[in-house]
Amino acid sequence: MNRKLIIRVLGAILGIEGLAMIPAFLISLYYRDGDSAALGYSILLTLAAGAGMYLIPKTERNSYLRLKEGFIIVAVGWILMSAFGAVPYILSGMFTQFDSAFFESVSGFTTTGASVFEGFDNYMHGVVFWRATTHWVGGMGVLVLTLALLPKLAGRTAHLVKAESPGPSLSKLVPKTGQTAKILYRIYILLTALEFVALLLCGLSPYDAAVHAFATAGTGGFSSYGKSIAAFNSVPVDIVVTVFMFMFGINFALYYKFLIGERFKAFWRDEEFRSYFFIAIVFTVAITLFNLSYYPSFFTSLRYSSFQLSSIISTTGFVTADFSKWPVASQFLLILAMFIGSCAGSTAGGIKVIRVNMLFKLSRRNILATGRPKKVDVIRVDRKAVDENIVSQVAQFAVMYVALVFIGAFLVSLEGKYDIVTNLTASLTCVSNVGPGLGAVGPVENFVGYGVWGKTVLSMLMLFGRLELLPMFILFTRSAWHKY
Amino acid sequence: MRIIVIGAGKVGYTLAEHLTQEEHDVTVIDKDDEVIERCSGSLDVICIKGNGANAKVLLEAGVEKANIVIASTESDESNMLSCLIAKRLGAQYTIARIRDPEFNESQTLLQNELGIDVAINPERATALEISRLLRYPFAGSIESFARGLVEMVEFRAQEKDAIVGIPMKDLADKVPHLPRILYAMVERGNSVIIPDGNFVILPGDKVFVSGDMVTITEFFRFLGRYNQKIRSVMLLGGGRISYYLSRLIVPMGIHVTLFELDPEKARRLSELLPRVDVIFGDGTDQDLLQEQGLSQVDAFVSLSNRDEENLMTALYASRSGVQKIIAKNSRMAYTDILNDLGLDSVISPQVITSSTILRYVRARENSNGTHIERLYRLIDGNAEAIEFIARKGDPYIGIPLKDLNTRKGSLVSVIVHQGKIIIPFGKDHIEEGDHVIIVSRNLGISDLNEVLYR
Repeated sequence: MNRKLIIRVLGAILGIEGLAMIPAFLISLYYRDGDSAALGYSILLTLAAGAGMYLIPKTERNSYLRLKEGFIIVAVGWILMSAFGAVPYILSGMFTQFDSAFFESVSGFTTTGASVFEGFDNYMHGVVFWRATTHWVGGMGVLVLTLALLPKLAGRTAHLVKAESPGPSLSKLVPKTGQTAKILYRIYILLTALEFVALLLCGLSPYDAAVHAFATAGTGGFSSYGKSIAAFNSVPVDIVVTVFMFMFGINFALYYKFLIGERFKAFWRDEEFRSYFFIAIVFTVAITLFNLSYYPSFFTSLRYSSFQLSSIISTTGFVTADFSKWPVASQFLLILAMFIGSCAGSTAGGIKVIRVNMLFKLSRRNILATGRPKKVDVIRVDRKAVDENIVSQVAQFAVMYVALVFIGAFLVSLEGKYDIVTNLTASLTCVSNVGPGLGAVGPVENFVGYGVWGKTVLSMLMLFGRLELLPMFILFTRSAWHKY
Repeated sequence: MRIIVIGAGKVGYTLAEHLTQEEHDVTVIDKDDEVIERCSGSLDVICIKGNGANAKVLLEAGVEKANIVIASTESDESNMLSCLIAKRLGAQYTIARIRDPEFNESQTLLQNELGIDVAINPERATALEISRLLRYPFAGSIESFARGLVEMVEFRAQEKDAIVGIPMKDLADKVPHLPRILYAMVERGNSVIIPDGNFVILPGDKVFVSGDMVTITEFFRFLGRYNQKIRSVMLLGGGRISYYLSRLIVPMGIHVTLFELDPEKARRLSELLPRVDVIFGDGTDQDLLQEQGLSQVDAFVSLSNRDEENLMTALYASRSGVQKIIAKNSRMAYTDILNDLGLDSVISPQVITSSTILRYVRARENSNGTHIERLYRLIDGNAEAIEFIARKGDPYIGIPLKDLNTRKGSLVSVIVHQGKIIIPFGKDHIEEGDHVIIVSRNLGISDLNEVLYR
């Protein structure tokens, strides 16, 4: 194993994290809530650690990055980044315990948005801004960012992007990985800026607009208010956020195609987008109808139902209504949406629509094959045959995903708290990077009730979910740590 | 530039690898799943699975915006078809690998009617390379610059050479009548050294010298290597390379003995090559080789289809005292080990083909703006020799070299000013339009300003 190269790349990640803290630091200087020193020290600490690791002398022939090493870099990088991301929370006194700070940091970077923070009445603007920044950085991926800035960091960088980007297979936009990363970030910045402006026009303060634009862009869900988006109680804000949450769940490659001249055809031609759109519409309509018994009018029901569905299926986790009080059928559809998630190549979590799509086709094939076993049948996506290898990987992924949710729920239950619904949805919401669950972790509650064990397990589940299981599972195999 | 490579076999893969290193945007098309997997894992390219002669696949690869399309699959016909379609769909420039000599004869037709701008015949390119090595037997490799005015020759220093053991700065004083030549680069073990005044050449070093042809000839005559002219050659294997090579070197007055195992093939070769002694028999048979006079010939070239046979017989010929040994090794692995065993000239048709194609790509690039005239990779790609043309308005123009900073690991090796060759010293300067040849350990230099600055 090429330890020097791994450490070098990890150093670069920390360096970029340190730089990402700077805007929060500047904001803390403006608001003077007493967190400037904490952020300043955090920046110095993170940059120093990053520089130290990056500057380890480079020996000859050490830029060959093996696939295994790529996975290890991604998994260890995310853990390390979360640990350093927790430093501002501790130093500023926002949290006193490391496990809470780490949970919050992981939740931020994995764009889950599950929180253990309670002091919204009198919060420190700098640190809360950093909390939103972690969503933004984690959404598109820190290694993608690293490669956008340092394309020559290592050979075979496609491994790194592959391990970090969601979806069954990596689709490059242009031949060079570094260039692809740059394009992705440009689109990301553009969309974030659009939402920022839209929220300003809705009357939000620049600070609130930025925090919520960041949280939407990463499909995270941290708000600067305890009541989340409900705090604004404004129809225009609800509409803007609903639309943007949905948009950040779309594969970014489609925006690229849109911009280079295919326009709206780019979206309609894409099978995954069509499925995503279809699922979103059907679920919204269904939930709106189910909720007619809960809300006074159709439009009120549509407003809250569409927001909540968009928030859950894009795995953002913003809240405008306490959906744990909704009819059980509505709740059930939301749970289903948590499993499905959004498109590959977006900032969202979940199993991903493309995989669900393939699973349906695979099941259909298996059912038909019982009647006509000799018939050769290929699975097609976008009218192109999908490699059988990928099909079986997708099936395995889905099984592992569901298994992980149950194992996670069991491990959380070892702490002896709450009921099955709470623990199961807590596990699911963390693996899918959504945020709120049901029961004691419902939309108006948070995760503060869990102890050290519960928070640690849930933190790990979030990382497993964000990195799509395999990079994290590899860390637990013995062969990952072999030298060869 | 945007380049599409069709077929990622050995040639295609090497090409894609080098082209990405030179910062081109490369898209690879191949039919084979495994090949695609390998490419997407290890190269920074977009991979598309499909047939390169299919318009739909080519469009998916963005052929209408491609600057160059290179068809390097195994099949001539498929390559021609790919180029034809690519050209019709809007590709600017097409290069096809076409190995069948029958097609080569109708080359103008190919170019005009099928839209193939360059047809590369790998076997012929290899034969050309071998014939150059036979002309200068003392050289491990020869590269030429400035339209052939300047050459860079690689040779291995020997114990008895006059230049061995003396610091560079004292060479002119201590060795009388030594022709003035530039010692551009030295490979010792695994490291590449750009020699300075205190550097001492040791026996066994691989030395790269550059200068004009006359001086280089004088230099090797001075070292006592030039009288080793090749008059007779033994070729192992009667494939296409052997055929082309014989056609090239027989007119140079070199006597050729060719071994071929297949009686039909041997007969046909004898028909086609009346002045060549075609021997029907196993060229790996030591007795047969000796019987045909192995120890008397000046050069031995092993060109059979099996790398192992080529290398073993080459080693045997070397042991038998043949001066110049050239072995074909398609896999191009273990080059340094083979060098240690004394096989200096190991050639690979794939590498030769891909570097020939690369040269066309670079020439194409010149017309698109950058001003690299020629680029050679030396020492297994660990160093480069690059020819630039000095552009108007660049900051280094007109300033004596001693007043300029030179990038570490790089050296201005030769300046060609109005057809005249200057081996540069501190007082010399570069003028607009001069050809400047740089040798460098830093790979990926694309501009002379990166090397010379104030």
